[in-house]
Amino acid sequence: MSKISAPKSNREFIEACVKAGDAVRIKQEVDWENEAGAIVRRACELAAPAPFMEKIKDYPGFSYFGAPLSTYRRMAISLGMDPASSLPEIGKEYLKRTNSEPIAPVLIDKKDAPCKENILMGKDVDLCKLPVPLVHDGDGGRYVGTWHAVVTKHPVRGDVNWGMYRQMMFDSRTMSGAVFPFSDLGKALTEYYLPRGESCPFATAIGLSPLAAMAACAPSPIPEPELVGMLSGEPARLVKCETNDLEVPADAEIIIEGEICPDYKVEEGPFGEYTGYRTSPRDFRVTFRVNCITYRNNATMTISNMGVPQDEGQLLRSFSLGLELEKLLRSQGIPVTGVYMHPRSTHHMMIVGVKPAYAGIAQQIAQLAFGSKLGPWFHMVMVVDDQTDIFNWDEVYHAFCTRCHPANGIHIYKNTTGTPLYPYATPHERKYSIGSKVLFDCLWPVDWDKTNDVPTVVSFKNVYPKDIQEKVLSNWTAYGYPEVK
Amino acid sequence: MNKWEVFVMDMSELAEGEDIELSIRTLNPGLHKYTYKRVKCQVSAKPDAFPDSLQVRMGRGQLSASQYSIKVLAEVQRLPEKYR
Repeated sequence: MSKISAPKSNREFIEACVKAGDAVRIKQEVDWENEAGAIVRRACELAAPAPFMEKIKDYPGFSYFGAPLSTYRRMAISLGMDPASSLPEIGKEYLKRTNSEPIAPVLIDKKDAPCKENILMGKDVDLCKLPVPLVHDGDGGRYVGTWHAVVTKHPVRGDVNWGMYRQMMFDSRTMSGAVFPFSDLGKALTEYYLPRGESCPFATAIGLSPLAAMAACAPSPIPEPELVGMLSGEPARLVKCETNDLEVPADAEIIIEGEICPDYKVEEGPFGEYTGYRTSPRDFRVTFRVNCITYRNNATMTISNMGVPQDEGQLLRSFSLGLELEKLLRSQGIPVTGVYMHPRSTHHMMIVGVKPAYAGIAQQIAQLAFGSKLGPWFHMVMVVDDQTDIFNWDEVYHAFCTRCHPANGIHIYKNTTGTPLYPYATPHERKYSIGSKVLFDCLWPVDWDKTNDVPTVVSFKNVYPKDIQEKVLSNWTAYGYPEVK
Repeated sequence: MNKWEVFVMDMSELAEGEDIELSIRTLNPGLHKYTYKRVKCQVSAKPDAFPDSLQVRMGRGQLSASQYSIKVLAEVQRLPEKYR
């Protein structure tokens, strides 16, 4: 692999974004109560540069970095690419790196770990010493974790898991969070810790390098510390926690260590989510007790403000879910041309381009997609042919409206795994993570005669002879039209 | 006077004239604003019945127009001994 020059920490990333014009330094004081959240939300809705808020009310020495990966430009910067790279180029690079050899992390000495510059233990532990923001007015609490990684280790298999489970501050030493039963952590809690009444060690890392955050967000089967290495081209630097055996990113801004109490739950939510709604009800959810906080000098807390498109919750999840599904489908020998989730679908619709090589291929794709570990996160699959540009919504929408047979092309799957965050779901479905799925098969049936049954697309590029097309193109401005870029 | 806030799915959760248990969060200014306590309390739909005020939000964060008052009788410790 050629040398990658991706930002290795949140600080390097902020500098790179500022230099590229993709982040702004806000010097005036910003209130942690709603104001910071409102700035981030507006920046997301305008696709504006990320706000780096250098002065936080009540919290001298701390800063905020909001909307870290809510544009493809910042995603390109995080990968060390030209900010002007196109989405297909970024996707191709992601696939290249994540199909390379795994790169194991390295464990560094605590004295060399920036995240250990300040350590709060015992009675000094108080989450309110951190500038935990009230992200949206009306949220159930101040959210500690909106762009972070919750680090855990499977007690038997030893698998390390970094997951982005939202975490609300309940009191000075308690957080509550949404951990869905189908997630890696949810399964470990249900299968192991709850029956034994044992607590589960955790560490929350905030202010990660952008590629560590990308790894925590990606539904990849590769362990996140190795995935970070593959994405960045060099080993991730980890360090041991103070109060448990977990290893955390040494360059993170803030680390919160503690234990998950599987048999004790406190209220969590509501919270504005990536769907663009507050959907899930306030409920008793997974509880995290905090035993230790470590942080860098002048620590920067990262904030993702989820809501209507588009923020990193939609953009990055759409990106990684689509590419991970593409890898899965290719591994099964399905001749896909690509997979794309439009962020504006709030990662609910998977668009798959495929060469319609045999009957039932769309059903095969949908069953693999919905049946995979990725499946709970979306409920629509649309399959189009290899002549349709999956990145061009006009073409996809045209295919959907004209080729999807209302009676034969829509296939519904009931009683599947869902999430409490589906806005369309009934209260009962939300409570029990029950979902429904739908496939929109936009392929011409393979048993139609290609000459007489399949309609011809009537477009400039499809119905005119090459010489006529070239003549019209070369004379376009001579006809009096402005040049088309 | 302290200012508190509570989230309810239904206003009937705020039963008057009896001791009830609620998770309430402080709206007092300061670093601990929005942190919760579990309390045994009495509430009233009359804003001046008890010394502390209680603002009410519904399940999705909608602010209720009703202003309650609250008397905190005791803190309730729910955390099991093994986690303290």
